[in-house]
Amino acid sequence: MDNFEKHIRASKASFDDQKADRAKLWANIEAQLEPSEPKVIPLWKLPMLRIAATVLVILGISGLIGISFLNGSTNENNFVSKELQDIDMHYKGLVSYQVQLVKNNDKLSDADKEEFLSFMDELDTEYEQLKLEMKNNLDNELVLEAIVSNYRKRIELIENLLRQLNESKLKDEDYGYTL
Amino acid sequence: MKTEIRFTHKSLVESSKSGDRNAQYQLYELYVDAMYNIGMRFLGVKEDAEDIVQDSFVDAFKNLHNFKYESTFGAWLKRIVINKSINHLKVKRLPLAAMDDHEYHLTEEIHNDPVDAIDIQKVKMGIEKLPLGYKNIINLYLLEGYDHIEIGEVLGITTSTSKSQYHRAKKKLVEIINTL
Repeated sequence: MDNFEKHIRASKASFDDQKADRAKLWANIEAQLEPSEPKVIPLWKLPMLRIAATVLVILGISGLIGISFLNGSTNENNFVSKELQDIDMHYKGLVSYQVQLVKNNDKLSDADKEEFLSFMDELDTEYEQLKLEMKNNLDNELVLEAIVSNYRKRIELIENLLRQLNESKLKDEDYGYTL
Repeated sequence: MKTEIRFTHKSLVESSKSGDRNAQYQLYELYVDAMYNIGMRFLGVKEDAEDIVQDSFVDAFKNLHNFKYESTFGAWLKRIVINKSINHLKVKRLPLAAMDDHEYHLTEEIHNDPVDAIDIQKVKMGIEKLPLGYKNIINLYLLEGYDHIEIGEVLGITTSTSKSQYHRAKKKLVEIINTL
């Protein structure tokens, strides 16, 4: 530090030559301090309300997430079950048509028809159960497989019946030829 | 000794912390002139200096619970006033670092120390005539007694920048004083 600096620092007091308007400034300061005088605790500072608010917020958020999640999954449900319904309709139509054909077929004996239809009914009840199961857990592959195999059995049954019919026809024809 | 200085006016500060208006007024009485002079040196305008001093006292009393006697109350309050003054200058968009414009006008080494003969009135006038950036740094270093680390913090510049700017500012000040 050189003499110049020392000189200025030594006479620092003479730099403070201004006088503040004490009364005016204090009045303004006091006015600004006034509102803080009564001890007001803001609502959000109370610990109980803080906890309550936090709980509400968490509930709200989880509720929103839950709703959106449910919505998403029901949409998926709708989508999948729509597809399933289409398949279902297709097979139902097919099966009922075949069943009608069998019923109207004269060449089949009543006993055969009875047997076939009772099998069909059995498969129907099984299918209804599977459908209920499906509603409870859509993603279960086992249930889906069971539904598919249910349909397969029906088709197999019908195919068997048709083969039976054809065989009897063939027999008749063979018989005719051999004679 | 040092610890004793830090606790100057401790009882007044403690009473003020708990909202004692009388104690607050006594602190105000003790420091208002010094703070007003600081404000005037930085801002040069009576109204601005008054605003800054008012705001500083209000802030100080409202945040007194944050004051932990790491310095004296006066130094703490002074820092508030200085920060507010510098911010005020920034808001007014007065270029704080426009010093580079002037450095090329300086003649090198005119160190014919005019020191002893200088009367303080001339120094005051000289400081007033300095460009704003120089004026702030001279105020902070020579009159407020801040070191370059503190000046760096207040002005947001590095310590070395503060040092070099101060030396330029001092040269310029001496130059101005010699022409008076």
